[in-house]
Amino acid sequence: MSKDFNTFNNVVRLPHKYAAGATFTKFYNGLKKGIIYGSSCSSCEKVFIPARSFCPGCLTNLDEVVEIAQEGEVISWAFSDKEFFGMPGKPPVIIALIKLDGTDCNFLHLLGGMETKDLDAVKSVVKTGIRVKAVWNDEKNGHMLDIKYFKPVS
Amino acid sequence: MGTVISASSDVFHGGISCANSYYWDAGAAFLKNASRQDGESLFAFSYAIMRILSGSYDSALVLGVCKGSENPENDMLTHFFTDPFYQRQIGLNETIAAALQKREYMDRYGITEEQCAGVVVKNLGNALRNPYAHIKKKVEIDDVLASEVVMDPLRSMECAPKSEGIIAMLLAKEDLAKKLTDKPVWFKGYGSSIDKFYLGDRDLLDGQLKTAAMRAYDVAGITDPKKEIDVAEICEPYAFQELLWYEDLGFCERGEGGKFFDSGATKIDGKIPVNPSGGVIANNPYVSRGLYRLAEGFLQIRGQAGERQLDTKVTTALAHGTHGFAGQCHAVAIIGN
Amino acid sequence: MGRPVAIIGSGQSNHGKRFDVTYPELVKEAVDAVFENTGISPEDIDGVVFGTMPSMMEGVALTHLYFADVLRAEGKPILKTETCGSTGISLAITGYYWVASGMADLVLVVGSEKMNEGDPQATMTTVLEPFYQRSFIAGAPGVFSMQSQAWSARFGIPEEKIRDAATRLSIDHHNDAFDNPHAHIKKRLTEDEVNNARIITYPVRLWDVCPASDGACAVLFASEEMAKKLGINAAWVKGIGYSGEEYWFGDSDKVEWQCAIDAAKQAYDMAGIKNPRKELDVAEVYNPFTFQELLYYECFGFCDFGEACDLTLKGVFSREGELPCDPSGGVLCTNPIGATGLNRVAEAALQVTGQADSRQIPGAKQALAHAMGGVVQFNGVMILGSEQ
Repeated sequence: MSKDFNTFNNVVRLPHKYAAGATFTKFYNGLKKGIIYGSSCSSCEKVFIPARSFCPGCLTNLDEVVEIAQEGEVISWAFSDKEFFGMPGKPPVIIALIKLDGTDCNFLHLLGGMETKDLDAVKSVVKTGIRVKAVWNDEKNGHMLDIKYFKPVS
Repeated sequence: MGTVISASSDVFHGGISCANSYYWDAGAAFLKNASRQDGESLFAFSYAIMRILSGSYDSALVLGVCKGSENPENDMLTHFFTDPFYQRQIGLNETIAAALQKREYMDRYGITEEQCAGVVVKNLGNALRNPYAHIKKKVEIDDVLASEVVMDPLRSMECAPKSEGIIAMLLAKEDLAKKLTDKPVWFKGYGSSIDKFYLGDRDLLDGQLKTAAMRAYDVAGITDPKKEIDVAEICEPYAFQELLWYEDLGFCERGEGGKFFDSGATKIDGKIPVNPSGGVIANNPYVSRGLYRLAEGFLQIRGQAGERQLDTKVTTALAHGTHGFAGQCHAVAIIGN
Repeated sequence: MGRPVAIIGSGQSNHGKRFDVTYPELVKEAVDAVFENTGISPEDIDGVVFGTMPSMMEGVALTHLYFADVLRAEGKPILKTETCGSTGISLAITGYYWVASGMADLVLVVGSEKMNEGDPQATMTTVLEPFYQRSFIAGAPGVFSMQSQAWSARFGIPEEKIRDAATRLSIDHHNDAFDNPHAHIKKRLTEDEVNNARIITYPVRLWDVCPASDGACAVLFASEEMAKKLGINAAWVKGIGYSGEEYWFGDSDKVEWQCAIDAAKQAYDMAGIKNPRKELDVAEVYNPFTFQELLYYECFGFCDFGEACDLTLKGVFSREGELPCDPSGGVLCTNPIGATGLNRVAEAALQVTGQADSRQIPGAKQALAHAMGGVVQFNGVMILGSEQ
C-alpha cells in the first residue's frame, strides 16, 4: 500500500570527539605498549578490566591501575561470518567474554588465530572454558584492537 | 484527557531527534501537561499511573511510538547503546550480547537448541490468531533450526524482526473508569530494575528481572505467581530469553526454563499461557513492545482477545518489557479485574 | 493534590568544556555531590530519574543504560524522561509525581549533557523533520531571532530599546556568574562589547547567546515523612506547570506564547499565586537568549506585554530589584542542555533554603524555576517555597 506514496531519504551524520579521562588514557596508552591495565578496588577486593575510574560495585573512585595477566578462560563466545554495522574488521568474527586471570569480571574481546572459515571448524577448537592468550598487532594505536585477538593456548 | 505520557526513542525514530516534538500534536498533547519516556513504553505506563495516583489527573493517555519501517536495522541502532571507548570498538550490539547470553545459558543449564526453537514455534503459532502480529507464518522446529545463522548460537528465526508499532492506552482513576466502562481493568502492580552497564560486569543468567518482578508482585500482593498469574505477555526479542525470563518471573526454578517449557505449561492452553499474542518474536516495535504486552493482557482480561482469547478465566495478567544488552533493564506490570 | 513533596538537596558538577573527564565521570560528579551535600546514602534511594538531550548529541543511545552504575541505579527502578530542551524541568516534574503518587519516598533525579563532544547546532537541526522545517531553521538561534522580531513588531518596541535591555541582561548575568561556583562563562562585559559583538542571527549577537556546556545536576526529591525524618532544610514543591504546542513553528503564536503562559498559570494556580511579581522572590528563567528572557517576563506575568524592556532598564529584575531573575547567571552563562532545567530547580531550591551563598537573594521564600524545549514548543515551570 505504501508504494502509492512518496518516501524521503534521510541520512544523519554527526561528528563526535569523546573525552577519555585520566583512567582510560592510562589504559589506552598501556595498550600502545602491549600492557593491559585494570583497576583494583580495595574495599570490594575485586579487580576490574578495562581500568576504571570507579568501582562498578561500590562506586569508590579508583586512581591506580594494575597490570593484568594476558591469559584467561573463555566464558562465552559468538560467531558470525556476515558483515554487520560496527563490526571490528571483516567477517568472520568471534566475539567473546574472557575471564582474564586474577580479574573479577569478563573482558569483551575477540577470539582468533585458528581456522574460522566455517562454524564447524571453529567449534572443533573453541569451547567455553578453553584457555586463551592475547595476541598483539605489530602496530599499536591506543585502540582496543591493538590486541588483535585472544588465541587458544594449546 | 488529563495528561499524555508517550514513549519513544530518538534513535528508533527515523533520524528525527527529540522524538516527542514531532508527534506532540498528533499524540493529543496540544496544550496539555504531558511528558515522555525514552526507550521503554512500560516506563510511560508507570509514569502515567504515578500522575493519576498523585491526584493531579483523572485520566491519562499512554502512547508507544516506534515506526520501525523508517529506521535502519535494529542492531545498527543498538550498537549505539555501547560506550564509545570499549564495547563499541569490539562492535557490540544487542544480538551479540544475546548470543553470548544464550551460549552461557545452554552451557550452564543444559538448555537445548530444540527448546529455544520451540519458543519460536509456539509464539509464531499463536501469532497466526493475532491480527496485529507482524510475522505470520506456520513454522516447525526444523524450520527454525535450519534458518540462517546470524550470530552463532542465534539463528535468524530466533531473533525478533523490526516492526511498526504505535499503540495508545487510556487510563482513568476509579470513579471516572466506572463511569466510562462496566469492564474496567485495574492496575495492580509495577516494578522495574536496571543492571550494571558493562556486559562483562554482569552475571547474564542472574539479572534484574527477578528484582523487577518481585517489586511488581509485592505491590500486587502476589505471593505465588505461578498460581496467581493467569496469562503472561513477556518480551523475548531472542527466543531463548523467554525460557530465562520464566525463571526470573518465578514460574519455575533457576535453570528449569527449558523443562518448564517442555511441560507445555506456557502453551496457549497450558496452565500459565505465555505470549498468546505471539510475543515479540512475532511483532517487535522496539520501544512500544512493552505496552503491546500490556494491551494484550488487558484484552485477555476483558475477554476481547478474539481468536487468541484463552479458554480459561483470566483475572490477572502480567506484562513485561526489556531493553538494553541481554536484558540490562526490565519492567513488569500486573493488571487484573 | 497528592502528598507534599520536598527537595532535600542538590549537586552540580562544574560546568564548562570538560574534556578532562569521561561522560560517566561527569555525571558521577553531580551524583556524588548530592549524597555528600545531604549525607544520605545511595542505598536509601527508592528510584532514579535520568534524562538528557537526544542521543545524537552524545552519539550514545538510551544513556540511562550507559550511566546505570554512576546513577547508583543498579537494582533500582528507573525512569528516563526526555523532552528536548525542557528535559531538566520534565525530570524534576517526574521526581515530583513519583513521590506525590506514594510510590516512592526518596527519588534521585539527574540530568546531564556533554555538548562539546558533539555538534550541538547540527544535533538541534535533527529535531526538525527532513520534509519541511529542516530546510529553513538553522539550529536554535534562527527560531529565537524570528520570535524576537515578531515580538518587537507586535508591541511596537523600538529595536534600540530591546538592544539596550538585552545588553543590560547580558552584562548583569555574566557578572552574576562570578558568584556561581558552577557557572561556565564568567565575564565582565561592557555595553560596547555586547552591542558590537558578532551577529549570530540578527538581531541576536554573540553575548546574547548561551554557551555549549558540559555538566550534570542531581536533585533529591523526598516525601514529607522522609524530609522530616532526615531533618533536612527542605524546599517544598508548591506548583507545577507544563504545556506544549504544535511541532510546526509557523502554526502557533510565539509572542503571546500560549504554552509559556499556560505553564506558568498552571503552576501559579497550584501554588495559589495571584501576583507573581509580588509573590515570587526570585526566578530562575530559562534564558538561552537574552531576548527570550525579556519575552518570558511578559508571558509569565511578571509584567504586561510590551513592558519588559522598560522594567528591565529600571532594574526591576536585577539582583537588587523587585523580582531578581537568574542570579545564578542562568542559562546564558551555563547550558548543559539535559541538566539546564534541573540546574534552575536546584538554584531555586538553594535560594528558598537560604543556601545560595554569594548569589543568595536575602529572605527568598518563594522561587520559580523554568525550562523550554522542542521547536520553541514546550515550557515547564516549577514553584518552590521555603514552607510546606
